Amino acid sequence: MTSWRLIAGSLRHYWRTHLGVLLGAALGTTVLLGALLVGDSVRASLLQMAQARLGQVSAALLGNDRFFHSDLATALTAELDAATAPILLLPGTAARGDGGARANRIQVVGVSSEFWKLGPSPSSEKLATHGGDIPSDTVWVNEPLARQLGIKVGESVIVRVPQPSMLSRDAPLSPTEDTSLALRLTVGRILQAADFGRFSFQASQLPTLNAFVGLKELQLKLGQTNQANGLISSFVGANSASQKTGTQPRSSLSRLDEIFRAQVKLADLGLQLLPLTHGQTELRTPRVFLDSPVIAAAKATGLSFTPIFTYFANELRVGSRTTPYSMVTALPPRRDAGEMGRPSAVSLLPSDFKDNEVMINSWLAEDLQAKPGDSLELTYYIVGAARQLVEQRTSFRVHSIVSIDGAAGDRTLMPDFPGMSDAENCRDWDTGFPIKTDAIREKDEDYWKKYRGTPKAFISLRAGQSMWSNRFGDLTSLRFEVGAKEVETALRRHLNPASLGLSFMDVRAQAQAASTQGQDFGQLFLGFSFFLILSALMLMALVFRFSLEQRTVEMGLLLALGFTPRRVRWLLMGEGALIAFLGGMIGLVGGVGYARAMLYGLSTLWRSAVGTTMLVYDARLSTLLIGAASSVSLAVFTIFWIVRREAQRPAHALLQETGGARLSGSHETRGRGKATLWAGIVSFVMGAVLTGMVLVDRKAATAGMFFSTASLVLIGGLCFISWWLIRDLATNSTTHLSLIQLGLRNVCRRIDRSRAIVILLASGSFLIASIGIFRIDAARDGQLHTSGTGGYAFVGESALPIVQDLNATSGRELYNLDATLMAPVTVLPFRLREGDDASCLNLNRAQKPRLLGVSPIPLAQRKAFTFAAVEVGSTNQPWHLLSKKLANGEIPAIADANSIQWALGKKLGDTLPYTDEQGRTIQLRLVGAVANSILQGALIISEDNFLQLFPSESGYRFFLIDKQTDGGKASIQDTAAHLTKALQEFGLELTPTVDRLNALNAVQNTYLNTFQILGGLGLLLGSFGLGIVVLRNVLERRNELGLLQAVGVGRTRVLGLVMGEHVLLLGLGLALGIFAAAIAVLPAALVPGAQLPLGSLAMTLSGVGVFGAFATYAAALYALRGRLIDALRSE
Amino acid sequence: MSTDGCLLRLTGVTKVFGSQGQTAPLGILQGVDLSLATGESIAIVGPSGSGKSTLLNIIGTLDRPTGGRICLRDQDLADLDEKSLAEIRNRQLGFIFQMHHLLPQCTVLENVLVPTVVTTDVELRRSAPIRARELLQRVGLKDRLHARPGTLSGGERQRVAVVRALINRPALLLADEPTGALDRQSATALTQLLLELNKEQNLGLIVVTHSLELAQQMGRVLELQDGRLVDITA
Repeated sequence: MTSWRLIAGSLRHYWRTHLGVLLGAALGTTVLLGALLVGDSVRASLLQMAQARLGQVSAALLGNDRFFHSDLATALTAELDAATAPILLLPGTAARGDGGARANRIQVVGVSSEFWKLGPSPSSEKLATHGGDIPSDTVWVNEPLARQLGIKVGESVIVRVPQPSMLSRDAPLSPTEDTSLALRLTVGRILQAADFGRFSFQASQLPTLNAFVGLKELQLKLGQTNQANGLISSFVGANSASQKTGTQPRSSLSRLDEIFRAQVKLADLGLQLLPLTHGQTELRTPRVFLDSPVIAAAKATGLSFTPIFTYFANELRVGSRTTPYSMVTALPPRRDAGEMGRPSAVSLLPSDFKDNEVMINSWLAEDLQAKPGDSLELTYYIVGAARQLVEQRTSFRVHSIVSIDGAAGDRTLMPDFPGMSDAENCRDWDTGFPIKTDAIREKDEDYWKKYRGTPKAFISLRAGQSMWSNRFGDLTSLRFEVGAKEVETALRRHLNPASLGLSFMDVRAQAQAASTQGQDFGQLFLGFSFFLILSALMLMALVFRFSLEQRTVEMGLLLALGFTPRRVRWLLMGEGALIAFLGGMIGLVGGVGYARAMLYGLSTLWRSAVGTTMLVYDARLSTLLIGAASSVSLAVFTIFWIVRREAQRPAHALLQETGGARLSGSHETRGRGKATLWAGIVSFVMGAVLTGMVLVDRKAATAGMFFSTASLVLIGGLCFISWWLIRDLATNSTTHLSLIQLGLRNVCRRIDRSRAIVILLASGSFLIASIGIFRIDAARDGQLHTSGTGGYAFVGESALPIVQDLNATSGRELYNLDATLMAPVTVLPFRLREGDDASCLNLNRAQKPRLLGVSPIPLAQRKAFTFAAVEVGSTNQPWHLLSKKLANGEIPAIADANSIQWALGKKLGDTLPYTDEQGRTIQLRLVGAVANSILQGALIISEDNFLQLFPSESGYRFFLIDKQTDGGKASIQDTAAHLTKALQEFGLELTPTVDRLNALNAVQNTYLNTFQILGGLGLLLGSFGLGIVVLRNVLERRNELGLLQAVGVGRTRVLGLVMGEHVLLLGLGLALGIFAAAIAVLPAALVPGAQLPLGSLAMTLSGVGVFGAFATYAAALYALRGRLIDALRSE
Repeated sequence: MSTDGCLLRLTGVTKVFGSQGQTAPLGILQGVDLSLATGESIAIVGPSGSGKSTLLNIIGTLDRPTGGRICLRDQDLADLDEKSLAEIRNRQLGFIFQMHHLLPQCTVLENVLVPTVVTTDVELRRSAPIRARELLQRVGLKDRLHARPGTLSGGERQRVAVVRALINRPALLLADEPTGALDRQSATALTQLLLELNKEQNLGLIVVTHSLELAQQMGRVLELQDGRLVDITA
């Protein structure tokens, strides 16, 4: 005989009671493990989605508005032994050929056959070998885009892309016409995910809408022959090299950058070298303004050059005589040349030339009849925010007159302004400025024809830069004293393409980080399932305890036979642990089923929370082991706790019991009753104090405070109930015993059992009752400026940037907006830097969140939105924090509180590294958190800071639209429809702010639903537990009930007695839970406009009550079956 | 073995219930003195509630006295911790209860062997199955070795309980109303068995009983009166 044999014998003999324990353990494991597996599956699904969107691409270089030769990909492939493909990546819109459906914000990708070799599967690689070059006039669309447009192969689609412009659309003299290009194409293929159809760099489970066009065709249509703005590489050679050398992938990335730098030509960096006479070379750019890293590199070469800044003047005036539309060049006088490098010998301006002086050419002097000493007024535009033109004037003294036929007659001084340089006539100019064509005289046309953009006036560089400097630059060309070859060699040595934003990113690492660091669904569902797990464990504990109660004599006997209490405990523990282990094994299978069910729920019922149906089941061995081990440990611990309680009584006491007939002793309970009462009072008082604190200071209303209050009230209530039961038990005997009193005494007999049921039901009903208050409805107070909508009616986003001011008459006229309809409308435009969606709708952790740039003033004036938290020391209107200068060059940023906490995993005061346009890493500091708003998904910085970081980012793409309530007869919907139609070319999509906020809220509301459903299941389990208790109680007391029948109490009344006892517990549990919920949600419920979901609440709780009563009734009926009097006899 | 042949000695043993101050203390045992020699048998009688079972529990180390000394083979049990007391119960004492308390999950043989599970004496444990069979044969149960307790009669169950009490060769057998749940015939048979084993095994035997018939067959009869033992053998 061994301990194992004893355990095995017990397991066999008590299998019926152990079955309940087994089921409890299995259920606990099922739920716990299932929750963890949901986490694994979501992570794996995200990784799978990342794999689908990146294929074999590991590194990518994205030039955005910078174009380079697409053959660089071939050179890189050869150098790296890694497949590299050029792409033209542009935002765009698509519409069905018949105009029946539209898709805004699509991604248009110009690809060659090389692209498909980098796809995720052999199926995409087959495309490369079997006609990977997309035929002319054909588009391959991915399945989500085809679905949205409702198109099939062979049908026609109109794809619109922005016409690339080297000069930013925001820049001075940037053309306003032909900003986009429409392509009518035929759908050639509909690509699935396996065909690389989901290609995208954005970490999101929502598929990007892709339209693939042949690279050469797109280059041709866009006038960008042989140009690409992106390179993607499989990075295989680099990775294997790093593996061989044991170096980090990061160095491989650097290697990629080095090879790119070695291969790149100046033209690929948007630079041109123009050989001039006398061996001089001019460095200029189609972007018109030279980037500051280029100038820094030029300085670093040590070569002598003359910096030049040529600008467009609206008017040159001497007295009443004027000359319209002329180029004016700013140059350093000879003495100043040293400041920019070694002085140029060709500088026109003498060393004594002053900043308030102007040198004019002979043509202008004649036209204005100007002579040295005259005052010349120069009128010019500068571009303000939202491309608002501000006309300014500066007066100069005419220093001298220079012949147009000499050095000053240099037409190359004018940069290549797009829309101007190629124009035959002045009247054909598209400068983006309003040109008064009637001011242009015949002689002006003659000048243009003969001298083109030859500057008519020259001023000092300092004067020019003080007038015309803008975010794009303050020089238009550099004139070197040496030949082009020497300049190119020197510049290439000193100019790092990364400083212009041309560097490779480890997109695979970013994708992996995004998918693995995202919202941990394992923890989330563990939280949701907490009550269910608790219920399963309590049920298991209950059944195991019943089992032990049956075996008290056995325990006493073993003690009497010389087993130590410890040994007895271990025997019982061993038994329990084996059952728990077995339950764990069953739970392993159950967990897989549970996880699959949850994933099904997430893909269907709870889809609002994840926005995708692409969730696939995946389980890691470690998760299975950890999950099973954790739940088995939890079950074993629960069993240990029960065993410890039961087996600590002395042997003689245990031996005296028969079938759990133990009664609580009145001697001990009387003392415990008082302590319990005091504990209840203290808990209640503390709960009331916390509620009061939240009522006084709403900011104290945190989740911690809510649960603390609820816990205290629950504990307090439980203490009162216990005290009442104990008091009743300890009451002296009565001379008028009624059935009700008898029932009450019975409830008091097993206080622990009664208490367990009350706890279970109270906690469950509390959760169900309290969760409802946290549902959010954006429609409530949606018109208030302080609400999550900011009081705005619509939120809009365009695929292509809108550069004109939609609030200004000029902007409205340009876009043909109805003046009357738009009169009461105000548009708050935001600049947008694309990035990862940092909202709750994105399951990935946003690695590089979207960035919005906005002027904080209108938001502050409006007191828009409510701040959940701001950094200490903030102003009254936290939006002004965006303009604050921070130490260490940090840039203040505001974001939605949910974005900060969940999508970014940050908190207020944290910094977030962000790479600017020049490849520099800057730190964005989170200074404010907006409470639950439509701003979720992006970081917001001031427009000034935005333009400093991303000067090339032109126009606005995000809008908040407001309409005065008394503003005109047209409804806001009509206005929105008009705006959408007028700006269709830009792919503007407007969404009512309430809808947008509700879509975001749907995530929270769906999670609450999940929580409630799983909590409800836990409560059902609690009701089931109540049934078991009833069954047990009645079976234990069959002889007593038989006695009642023997003395003449009818069967129905006996049933009523049993029902009454247990329905009392059910009622107490539910009432306590509701009471705790009412106290805890009181502060939230008292908020004006708060809506209590009383209807659904009453229905849910009634359902639980009815189910509990039914479980009680069924159990009582079962236990009371047969003749009770027989039980009396058998005693 | 005690030098004076005394197996068990109780000196001034008292037991008071309700001494925690909640209710008025109730003295059940008021100074019990008792000595028992090896091979001697005594019966303790007395009315219900007189403290017979309490006294037996104290002797059997299942309960602790409020005062007084208990020496088993000259070893003062008051000095021992729970683990040592458990070892004494296992090796030196054998219990027979009014209810047989057989484990329903075990066979007859297994029930008998249960005390050997915690025996530290390896030799004893090794030989236990043979001894169990011999003893079961001795009590007439050799054909019921693998039967479950549920299939046995009341008398058979109690005989299994007796064998279980003897399996570890105890020095003292404690029986609490051993015939209380048996019919007259079975009770007589069990009494005979106990007396024979008392002689054969040279055991000390203390029987707590209401049955004068059983009591009179013991060497001495002691009555618990007002918390003290009075010899009423005569």
